[in-house]
Amino acid sequence: MDGIGTRPETKAPDWRRVAAIATPLLLLSLLPLYATFGASAYEQRVIIVLGIDIMLVLSLNLFNGFTGVFSLGHVGFMALGAYGSAILSMPVAHKAINLPELPAWLAGVELGFLPSILTAGLLAAVVAVVIGLPVLRLSGHYVAVATLSFLVIVRVVLINATPFTRGSRTFFGTPAYTSVWWVYAWVLITIYIAWRILRSPYGRAMLAQREDRVAALAVGVNVLRTRMLPFVLSAFLTAVAGALWGHYILSFSPNAFYFTETFAIITMLVVGGMGSISGSVVGTVLIVLLTETLRELERGFDLGFVQVPPLYGLSQILMAVAFISVLIFRREGLLGNTEINFMRLFSKRERTADKNE
Amino acid sequence: MSFLEYMLQQTINALSIGSLYALMAIGLAMVFGILRLINFAHGDMMMVASYSALALLLAGLPYWVVVPIVVLITAFAGILMERFAYRPIRGAPDVAMLLTSFAVTIILENSVVMMIGARSRPFPVPEFLRAVYHYGNVTVASVNVVAIIATAILLVLLTLFVTRTDIGISMRAAADDMTAAQLMGIPINRVIAAAFAIGSGLAAVAGLLWTAKVGKVDPYMGFFPVLKAFVAAVIGGFGTIPGAVLGGFVLGSLEISLQGLLPGQWSSYRDALVFGILIVVLLVRPNGILGARAREEI
Amino acid sequence: MKTKALMLGTVLALGALGTLASAQAAETIKIGGAFNLTGELSSLDVPAANGAKLALKEINAAGGVNGKKVELIMRDGKTDPATVANITTQLIESDKVLAIIGFTDSDSALAAGPLCQRAGIPFITAGATSPKLPAQVGNMMFLAPFGDNVQAAVGAEFAVKNFGKSAYLLWDKGTEYTTLLADYFKKRFAELGGTLVLEDTYQFGDKDFSAQIAKVKSLPKQPDFYYISAMPDDIGTTVKQFREAGITGPIVGGDGYDTPLLVQVAGAAADNTYFTTHALMDADNGSPAVKKFMAAYKAEFGHEVENAFAALGYDTMRLIVDAVRRAGSNDGKAIAKAIEATQGFPGVAGELNYSASAHVPRKGVTMIAVKGGKFTLGAEMVPEKVPAP
Repeated sequence: MDGIGTRPETKAPDWRRVAAIATPLLLLSLLPLYATFGASAYEQRVIIVLGIDIMLVLSLNLFNGFTGVFSLGHVGFMALGAYGSAILSMPVAHKAINLPELPAWLAGVELGFLPSILTAGLLAAVVAVVIGLPVLRLSGHYVAVATLSFLVIVRVVLINATPFTRGSRTFFGTPAYTSVWWVYAWVLITIYIAWRILRSPYGRAMLAQREDRVAALAVGVNVLRTRMLPFVLSAFLTAVAGALWGHYILSFSPNAFYFTETFAIITMLVVGGMGSISGSVVGTVLIVLLTETLRELERGFDLGFVQVPPLYGLSQILMAVAFISVLIFRREGLLGNTEINFMRLFSKRERTADKNE
Repeated sequence: MSFLEYMLQQTINALSIGSLYALMAIGLAMVFGILRLINFAHGDMMMVASYSALALLLAGLPYWVVVPIVVLITAFAGILMERFAYRPIRGAPDVAMLLTSFAVTIILENSVVMMIGARSRPFPVPEFLRAVYHYGNVTVASVNVVAIIATAILLVLLTLFVTRTDIGISMRAAADDMTAAQLMGIPINRVIAAAFAIGSGLAAVAGLLWTAKVGKVDPYMGFFPVLKAFVAAVIGGFGTIPGAVLGGFVLGSLEISLQGLLPGQWSSYRDALVFGILIVVLLVRPNGILGARAREEI
Repeated sequence: MKTKALMLGTVLALGALGTLASAQAAETIKIGGAFNLTGELSSLDVPAANGAKLALKEINAAGGVNGKKVELIMRDGKTDPATVANITTQLIESDKVLAIIGFTDSDSALAAGPLCQRAGIPFITAGATSPKLPAQVGNMMFLAPFGDNVQAAVGAEFAVKNFGKSAYLLWDKGTEYTTLLADYFKKRFAELGGTLVLEDTYQFGDKDFSAQIAKVKSLPKQPDFYYISAMPDDIGTTVKQFREAGITGPIVGGDGYDTPLLVQVAGAAADNTYFTTHALMDADNGSPAVKKFMAAYKAEFGHEVENAFAALGYDTMRLIVDAVRRAGSNDGKAIAKAIEATQGFPGVAGELNYSASAHVPRKGVTMIAVKGGKFTLGAEMVPEKVPAP
């Protein structure tokens, strides 16, 4: 518990604290900097996708990691963000050709980039409230199953709401607004939100009910309410990430928002460590780099002395094996519950093992 | 077609698809009952069975020989799956096990993609399963009749198994209370392996029937059936065999009636409704129709 | 710490290997080949990709373009629009291709098209048949095959002439192609005085058609023919289940039927089925160009050509290389102009003509009748009237 008991020297001098916070941010901003000055087109793409994935994983971690409750349906919010923002921001003239059956009140709307993604995010937040009220009371695998059902329901709706989504046909014509700076600005916002929530009394309540539900209930922590805010927040951020992705890839279909994507995000989350913000970043970077490399190798290559044929599916297999390995050998992921301690870099006088809560 | 004939036709459709769901759901229920594991890779047992059958049929073996061999192969595959993917994480929180089953699904499906190819392959369905009988306006495909009869026989056999044989009784004991069962000296590893073997064997039968209806196989064919089987198992009473069977037929009937009742525009929202009903069931009666009333889960 | 170092090391090693894999070649004419080598469309895309590869071999054997070798960089779209968008970007930005050919379905074309348009890179689809594509994507978009409005019109005219004026329509609402084909069929059929006794839909990937079949069986009188607008992966199952339910009338459809899966999956049930496609791949009765192509294909790949899409892939590759040659430059707009100027280009699957206003060629349609488990020639037709795209 903070402030109670004897603890030598807890507050580092001001400049050290600033440095400890600035270092990870600086490291993070290396990515968009490199993307703008000097990266090849391929590297630019990887950096953008990396940023969006970090945001997705962090948003999921915000809920899963801190409440201990597993939502398997988050990609549904991603879909709402992507489709919602695309429809809102598409020029009216294009809407007439691409989405001719859109209802009149929507067909005439054309919003800018930021208003579109914010509106889509809000839509997701509202849906999260509606879904959360019944579902967040459940626990363990019941809530996992219920959120999985939500994922399936979203998919069915997407496939059938043809006037809005073109059904399972390709949705095209999304305005290409996403840039690497937009993505990393949002990544920073997400990190900030996650950090603040974790450190607030609200965050403490979340962790309390995660560690010991019975005790938390006994003390009077309202379980539903403590779960609702992170759920809604994470839904909002996931939707924004989805919107950023939609405005980047420009064409997509409901397939992109189903089990494959869900499992990819969960792998990054688990490998990095649930409950750790830096863990999410590290896990995502690792998995994305691994996937990109493997995908290139999948096409088959010529080593000069031997011709390796295409082995489609290999990258997926290796990812799944990595996932199972983490669960077997290091279940808490790379960083578990802890954060990378940047303070260590700057504190010369190290005595007690600085345990994070 | 008269109303009576229409109802008869739909009843047969419901029973036959319900049988397939029931066969699949039993495998899920058995494993969940003992291990609290939701095994999504169960659907891939269907796929393994169908591909094995394809290979054997193309090699020239007659169907009658192929079926029991395939059931054995799939049962063995189930045992292997348990041994290498699930035993190492036994005791992990429920959600970790569920996620692992996703990983296993991905590994199995992509292995087939990698080694055999992602394209659908036509499946040589034997004559006796292609026959169609007409009674007035009612059409009965022989594959549906076979499905219903096979399910009935297998259920009888299974009931005898869990009530009369040692392993069967041990399975029920382990499902009831794993720790007590272990204390009683029940060889838990063998019991679990048996549960996987039987569940996979049943999935093999369901897979062969399904393939006979569809006429082709592809690496992802098991994905959708397992999702449906899962809904069936939960609605009927998750963890119990009678619950799984009941759930299978309830789901089959629900699907066919929704398909018929919903006006044309909305009939494709059928699946959304089914999963919505699933959420309601989880809220109101999480252990399903036949399950015990759930204690307040904390 | 050790684990992290190990992981980082592995990633770097793999990265190095990956870079090795995509090493650059000498100066060549780079054409992007974007195909769905895996996934639901692979039974059409793989033959098309093979056709393109065959054309590549012949072109390079004949000296390439002005002495420079032509390179075809293949990437797999996995029949998923997001993946298609990804590989298209890769082809344009990383592989730096001059033009892109590929895909046999309109959904994939819609995913790839806008990216090519934005980059000013011409995109010729080998087999996607939506006539709306040029309007939806832009002036970089070209089709090698005829449009769905053309083949639907032929389908309607052929069926009315041979079978009658009452029909049942079943269409897959899950894909661009099947939706458009059904729509154009309805329009032309109505113009010809036909009546639809029943119209029904299913979702791409559905495996069980008992509900739709039950509705058909309960009709007081069976229609003269059944028009089913379906994708290659589903049509075998559909025909099989319909026939098993006792529906014996003629089944008519579009080039989605042009797959070996139709006869493989449906077996004898595939008889009395008719469909419009781009050419009849028949070594005995085909045109001289077809025979020559079939022989070359068999020699190169060791098995019979699967369907007309192989010929389309072949034609498309030859067309784009010819356009690059005529353009005399690597500029996308110049190449597009060269394509527009194409007149009388001889293709195995028909002659290709374009203009500034016509990015979809006017081609004749081959009607195939399935008899005795084989594809036979039903008719070669040009539609009398074509619904507007």
